[in-house]
Amino acid sequence: MNQPAPKMTQRQVNDTIMAAMSPPTKEYYAWLALCLCGALIGGGCWAYQIATGLGVAGINHPTMWGTYLINFVFWVGIAHSGTLISAVLYLFGAPWRTPLARSAEAMTVFAVSIAGLFPFIHMGRVWIVYWILPYPNQRNLWPNFQSPLLFDVIAISTYLTVSLLFWYTGMIPDLAIIRDRAKGLRQKLYGFFALGWTGSQNQWRHYSLAYLLFAALATPLVVSVHSVVSWDFALSIAPGWHSTIFAPYFVAGAIHSGLAMVLTLLIPMRRILKLEEVITIPILENVAKTIIFTGLIVAYSYLTEAFIAWYSGNVAERGIFHWRAVGHYAPFFWLMVTCNTIVPLALYFKKVRTSIVPLFIISLLINLGMWYERFVIILSSPAHDQDPYSWGLYFGPTWVEYGILLGSFSLFFFLFLLFARFLPTVSMTELKEELTPRRRAQSQPKSGGQP
Amino acid sequence: MSATRPVLSIFADFDDLLAAITALQAKKIEIADVHAPTFQPELLTALKLKRSPVRFFTLTGGILGILSGFALAIYTASQWHFIVGGKPPVPRVPYVILAFEFCILFSVLCNLGGMLLLARLPKHKLPAHYDARCTEDRFCMLLHCPVAERQEIGQMLRKLGAEEVNDLG
Repeated sequence: MNQPAPKMTQRQVNDTIMAAMSPPTKEYYAWLALCLCGALIGGGCWAYQIATGLGVAGINHPTMWGTYLINFVFWVGIAHSGTLISAVLYLFGAPWRTPLARSAEAMTVFAVSIAGLFPFIHMGRVWIVYWILPYPNQRNLWPNFQSPLLFDVIAISTYLTVSLLFWYTGMIPDLAIIRDRAKGLRQKLYGFFALGWTGSQNQWRHYSLAYLLFAALATPLVVSVHSVVSWDFALSIAPGWHSTIFAPYFVAGAIHSGLAMVLTLLIPMRRILKLEEVITIPILENVAKTIIFTGLIVAYSYLTEAFIAWYSGNVAERGIFHWRAVGHYAPFFWLMVTCNTIVPLALYFKKVRTSIVPLFIISLLINLGMWYERFVIILSSPAHDQDPYSWGLYFGPTWVEYGILLGSFSLFFFLFLLFARFLPTVSMTELKEELTPRRRAQSQPKSGGQP
Repeated sequence: MSATRPVLSIFADFDDLLAAITALQAKKIEIADVHAPTFQPELLTALKLKRSPVRFFTLTGGILGILSGFALAIYTASQWHFIVGGKPPVPRVPYVILAFEFCILFSVLCNLGGMLLLARLPKHKLPAHYDARCTEDRFCMLLHCPVAERQEIGQMLRKLGAEEVNDLG
């Protein structure tokens, strides 16, 4: 899985990455406007829901979580891979990490921010969201720290803070490079965020160790966050949810979807920003190979989950798994199985995983499959709980929920487009670190210098 | 009146810089700072810089986080002795999750805070000797050179491969 460093000089690395930040084309602005429209539609739908009431969403007893929680889990899952790719591959010193890491980290920050919106949207009266925070109050009421929902609040806010700081800290030396090339207001702005970085040895000495520790701390956090999300379900007593496999199953699924989203973002980005020399085909191939691995873990989890239900002898557990495969929402179950476990098998063929178009299509299908995985998990258990009257009563999302879903995707791509325009999408400093520092043998003989 | 003058030398080649550092150390000339575009562990060794103590900040943050997580959960639970789900008012197992998340959060905040403090960041103004080429592809070394030896040191640095030797005095 080794990726040789691109044959560039240090200056060429800066030139190539910063060229992507040059004034964009009309095509860029068209995409930006389209994403902004989508985000505004989502915002409008949310405003309509606030004005009208939660009844405009398709949620109904007993499927009270509906698509808002599906979107929440989906976006937390997408957020997973960014920090994981960056932190784990950094700890292992994988050379193919560098061209991907910055964009993957940005993906994490935007995805977890969007995920954080969905509990607010689902709450209805969003202005009283501060009630869930532990703050001293007159009634001496505090949140219940035994609740998995509170674990979630703490875990997601920790994850957002850590991911944002990890992303920003990694960018400080690059912001200094941009500052040193910029002029006027741009120089002041980038200079402010570069914090006065000069690349002195005192700075590098503390920075390098702090960044290593950041990566070491972010790795267990990544695993814990999606485990905590899974416990929102697993700590309940609903059939299909109350399972010890949920934590590793959710973590594997999150990495699977996150890697697919990395491909979905990077494939167009490398072309639009002309970064083909940096984000090379072998790097995309390495991501594809990792997807095969995560796809197999997900397939194993599906099988194990079904086996546990059968082996437990529990009638309700067996019933829910049978119903998922043949009941009201069976097409979505089979779509999930196909997209997440069968489609990635095509990546076994080198020709598929080294061709851009199939790779992009597979990444889109995995994203679709992973959204439906959350649909199957989150909807099917309450929609088939102990009361047979309610089985199959949930008819799916309403136009308001579809609008908010569209808004979330549009906002995500809107933020990513802004990121690609204003910040370096690939770490220049780390890419330069992979190049051997220039030695005397590589340079021209100097007058008066030693040979 | 100072007996030394600041001198900034710029190197294109890494091994020229290392050779210059060794030569200057042999002459007991004070190297005030070296700026590099990337992290070079060899440079830290050559300058005999110790390992960063930022790890102690991180460890302190982690310990504080664990204590704060447990303290917050136990304090809030003890305000109302409700039995929730048949569990005791102050259960230990669920609070480990809170303590873990707080441990990571506080470690990261202290790690970043420690790094900024030790690296003396943020700086509102760049140092007067700073050369923008240091973030591109050049190595810049600032010396405090004795006035009497300035010429000799300058020649030596040029001979060792410095592209430029600038007297900043």
